[in-house]
Amino acid sequence: MEVIESAYLDEKIETVRGIDFLQYRSQDLPTWCPGCGYFGIVDAFYKACRELNLKQENIVTVSGIGCSGRTPIFINSYGFHTLHGRSIPVASGLKLAREDLTVFAVAGDGDALGIGGGHLPHVARKNINITFLLFDNSIYGLTKGQSSSTTPYEMRTNSHPVGNPDTPLNPVKLALAYGASFVARGYAGDPRGLKQIIKEATLHQGFSFVQILTPCVTFDKENKTWKNLKEKVHDLNLRNEEKNMETAMRMAENEPYGVGTFFQDKERPHYQEILRNLNKAD
Amino acid sequence: MPENDHYVIIGNGPAGNHAAATLRQKDKDAKITIISDECVPYYYKPRLTDFIAGEIAKEDLMVNFQDVKDIRIRCGQAVKRIDPDSKLLFLQHMEKIEFSKLIIASGSRARVLPTMSGYADHLKFVTSYTDVMEYKEEIRKAENFFIFGGDLVGFKFFKMLNSMDKTVTIMIDPDAFWPYRLTRDMLEQISENLLKFNTEIIVKDEVLSIDRQNGSYRVKTRKGIEKNVDMVLSFNGLNPNIEFAKGSGIDIDYGILVDEYLKTNVDGIYACGSCAQIYNQAIKSYTTSIGWPNAVVQGEVAALNLLGDHKIIESVGQKYFDLEGVKIKTTWWEDINEDNDA
Amino acid sequence: MKDINIVIEICGSAGEGTISAGEITSRFMSSQGFEIMSFDSYPAEIRGFGKCVAHTRISSRQIYSPGKLADVLIALNDKHAISQLSTLKENGILIYDSQPARPHKEDESVAGWAKPGMISYGIPLNMLAHKASGNARGMNMVALGALAALFYVDKSPFTDSIKTRYAKKKQIVIDSNVNSFLEGYNWTKENIKKIDPHSFKDITLPKPKEKLIINGNQLVARAALDADLSFYAGYPITPATKIMEILSRELPKHGGVLLQTEDEISAIGAVIGAGFGGKRAMTATSGPGFALMTEFTGLSVMAEVPAVIINSQRAGPSTGIPTKTEQSDFNSAVLGGTGDCPRIVLAPADTKSCYEATVLALYLAEKYQTLVVVLLDFFLSNSIRNINIPEKPSSEYLDANIAPDKNDFKDYQRYKITKNGISPRAIPGTPGGMFFSTGLEHDAYGRPNYSEAGHTAMTQKRFAKFNTVLTEAPAPEISANDRDEFDIGVISWGSSAGAAHEAVMSAQKEGINASSFSSMMLSPFPEKALIDFSDKCKKILIPELNFSGQFAGFATRILKRSVERLNFITGRPMASEDILQKMREM
Repeated sequence: MEVIESAYLDEKIETVRGIDFLQYRSQDLPTWCPGCGYFGIVDAFYKACRELNLKQENIVTVSGIGCSGRTPIFINSYGFHTLHGRSIPVASGLKLAREDLTVFAVAGDGDALGIGGGHLPHVARKNINITFLLFDNSIYGLTKGQSSSTTPYEMRTNSHPVGNPDTPLNPVKLALAYGASFVARGYAGDPRGLKQIIKEATLHQGFSFVQILTPCVTFDKENKTWKNLKEKVHDLNLRNEEKNMETAMRMAENEPYGVGTFFQDKERPHYQEILRNLNKAD
Repeated sequence: MPENDHYVIIGNGPAGNHAAATLRQKDKDAKITIISDECVPYYYKPRLTDFIAGEIAKEDLMVNFQDVKDIRIRCGQAVKRIDPDSKLLFLQHMEKIEFSKLIIASGSRARVLPTMSGYADHLKFVTSYTDVMEYKEEIRKAENFFIFGGDLVGFKFFKMLNSMDKTVTIMIDPDAFWPYRLTRDMLEQISENLLKFNTEIIVKDEVLSIDRQNGSYRVKTRKGIEKNVDMVLSFNGLNPNIEFAKGSGIDIDYGILVDEYLKTNVDGIYACGSCAQIYNQAIKSYTTSIGWPNAVVQGEVAALNLLGDHKIIESVGQKYFDLEGVKIKTTWWEDINEDNDA
Repeated sequence: MKDINIVIEICGSAGEGTISAGEITSRFMSSQGFEIMSFDSYPAEIRGFGKCVAHTRISSRQIYSPGKLADVLIALNDKHAISQLSTLKENGILIYDSQPARPHKEDESVAGWAKPGMISYGIPLNMLAHKASGNARGMNMVALGALAALFYVDKSPFTDSIKTRYAKKKQIVIDSNVNSFLEGYNWTKENIKKIDPHSFKDITLPKPKEKLIINGNQLVARAALDADLSFYAGYPITPATKIMEILSRELPKHGGVLLQTEDEISAIGAVIGAGFGGKRAMTATSGPGFALMTEFTGLSVMAEVPAVIINSQRAGPSTGIPTKTEQSDFNSAVLGGTGDCPRIVLAPADTKSCYEATVLALYLAEKYQTLVVVLLDFFLSNSIRNINIPEKPSSEYLDANIAPDKNDFKDYQRYKITKNGISPRAIPGTPGGMFFSTGLEHDAYGRPNYSEAGHTAMTQKRFAKFNTVLTEAPAPEISANDRDEFDIGVISWGSSAGAAHEAVMSAQKEGINASSFSSMMLSPFPEKALIDFSDKCKKILIPELNFSGQFAGFATRILKRSVERLNFITGRPMASEDILQKMREM
């Protein structure tokens, strides 16, 4: 519980000005439930930005709809809260038009893999240079507890009170299969580790996909609870395994709670470089 | 169930159209087709001169013939060949048409005499709507004309040009009213009657040569007359239009030979109107007919006989044509030449 | 001087050079100083033997519509041409192959179906093509040669146009096309008795200015480039795809980026993203794609992010008829979507105003921070005109964003309530201008705010902006505006406006006191101008290419009077002849 408290406390001590990462935090108070894993995520995000020394005005966070959709409100930079499932298209357009900006797209599991699931393969295969943060709590939170694309089979939810009939998706496996050039998984309860992953993802030139395991403290009492996550999440120490798709796939299959960078292809040019090369060659 | 009969009529003049109308009246179910090499519906040929002169509009040229119902009219399609054995018509544009019975009413066209072969390229023949459309503008623009021949149409044409204030030289040929030959007296009387038209009339002479120079034509005659004109028109009578029937097995002379029932030697094939050479029991010989009323009656009779009737054709209409004040007996049923000589 | 006003249709199978024959004819006639308007219709199928028709109207005067019926039909394929005979005038001319490779069965020849009164000229197209080049490919050129001979068109500039068309091909291709043309020309001169009245002889037109021969799609792309477009996202859809294809090549040369997305939702999303980034961005689509984009259109309006959508309409609903023209997305463009959603909708009336509309769309979207929809249709997208080279937009049209100043930055309110509704907009990367945008209702800072007063104030602000647009809307086109009274007023929009205008001109010649009204701006609509016009008219006629009279319904609500409607869903462009006929009956 100490992790939650630290995140929650951070929220409460906004007047403490000595801490320099707070410049990335907006004046608005998050509307998430107390104890929500998202506090840990934005905390890691602020710190990553600080350590990367990003200029606030050059950051744009684009979100979809859902609890994660509110994220840009709490970040002191440019932010765009768009439509359900559509953070990826908007972020892609923004980045392609404004290469100078650092563009984050954030989405929940319903957002990214349900309604917006069709965009993921394409942004990955195009290798558009944005950082995609998937806040994966395996539930629709804002609409109060329905099954999502990552809700476990047979788990009881408000839309499936006798048990979820659907088999969940494996986001890391999908991202690998779609050809994302950076695929990682982090954990909201480990802001330090997550910060490191967000930093790597941001520095990566190309599409970076980060699944973040996080609880929904209000609507999930049996799956991704803090208790379960704390027990199961472990570091895979995969950082030296970059560019090994076979290992990455195996790990993705076998280690649903393992965190770390599964795959990174540093050589592959991102979309704008590809376009420039093709147009030059023409 | 056997397919309905397909009656095909070649020709879109009065004979063809009245044949078609009669067939439709008697047989509601048959498929009926009229084929014409002209791109125009049924029209009044006698009004063509008024049309050229701009006195009537195109609408007034057209025959408003309501009796032709549910009949496919194929215009602008020339028949190239008939095969009576397989009952097929071959069209110029390489389409085959099957018929069960056929009426040939293809009319006639300008007669080109062998003596004209040396200068035929320079002659214009105006006997059909197609000819008119081809030359209408040219006629309107031209000032000087040489008319050569002088059949019924020729005189009408001459008067039309005269009314359009054109300068016309007319050379009357006794054979122009073929197959009737004009007598010397007739020629003289016609010339005299034409004098009121302030025009130059040449008789008892013949065209020797026509040459094209600088956009106009120089006409020379045997008697040494020379004329420079913009157009030379020939009106030397009509010939049955039956090229397509040659070699088909249908008997022809200069027209399609038919008996008094208008039937050819081939079962199911009839001919009528000015393309037909009809057997005359009285004179034991074949003659062609002229004139709109004859064509109408023949079309009707051909159609009735084709459907099983046994009507003998008779001459109708006016007995005389007025050729510039000279009455010429034209009743084809009798031996005209003899009559005229008498 | 004699006038030329003639419509030529060339009909053949896909792959018979039908479209290129039409194109050569258009280019040649344009080079001779004639006005041209042409469009092709072709099968939706990719390959095979579908029917193609190249329709070209040629005139020595200004033309406003493509002409309903053809004066000349050139049949390269009998089967297809038979069905095309229905659009040949009663006294039209049919040019057909009189010596096809194999004889026709009964009723398979187009010549057999020519109606009495039509003039058919049989030309041995196939035979002459073989004679010229050893194969049938030159049939289209033989036919053009025949056409030139029949109409007394000079052959040498015509062959120049053929050479230009095939300039990039091998010499043998050029030669066989030119030879085929000459075979057709010479054969026709020698063998055909001309009995139709058409003639280009002695027509002298002033030496033509340099013209663009261009269709609406090409012109939209050109206008977008001239108006500093820097981002385009799109998904292929007939009839808008060509815009993407052109920009894909041209946009990078102008430093821009083109993104082909996975669907239309993504396309408009990316456009809004780029717009958020302060860049001029647009997409082009047709009805089905526009339906998907409707998801995003409200966001553009709500979050006040510039976005431009070109919607080239085709017959609907649903997938409808992709290659047939219709004006049936009026409701969807002007009224579709969520909530009270003021958006700008422009509908160019003719090819040349496609340029103006596109420049205006990008300008208005940027200045008013909102969605602009440009309604084209299949006909405007694909019909080809020769037009004067458009003037490039002046600088005020290129830099329209109203940016915040120092004072604004003291307490920057991205959605500040202003009189004209426009709030100064900071672009990401601007220090001190950071803001948050959302599709939720929000306060002046952009923060979600669901209060009664807040929603009312913000809705009013969005509509204030919408109404401000009207002050710089292009004025409606009204003919004979100096008169006080008309028996018939014809109100039209989009590609039907040209036909309406032409019909009114003809009606005036017939003594019908009529006028026409059309507005490029459909939303917001210049209601006052419409009412003023309507007040002068005893009767109102609204012709449009949809079944339900979508615009007529819209106009009736404004005018509060009944109107005569004229609706066609034939898939063909509006014909002035049909409007004129309706006016005579009124």
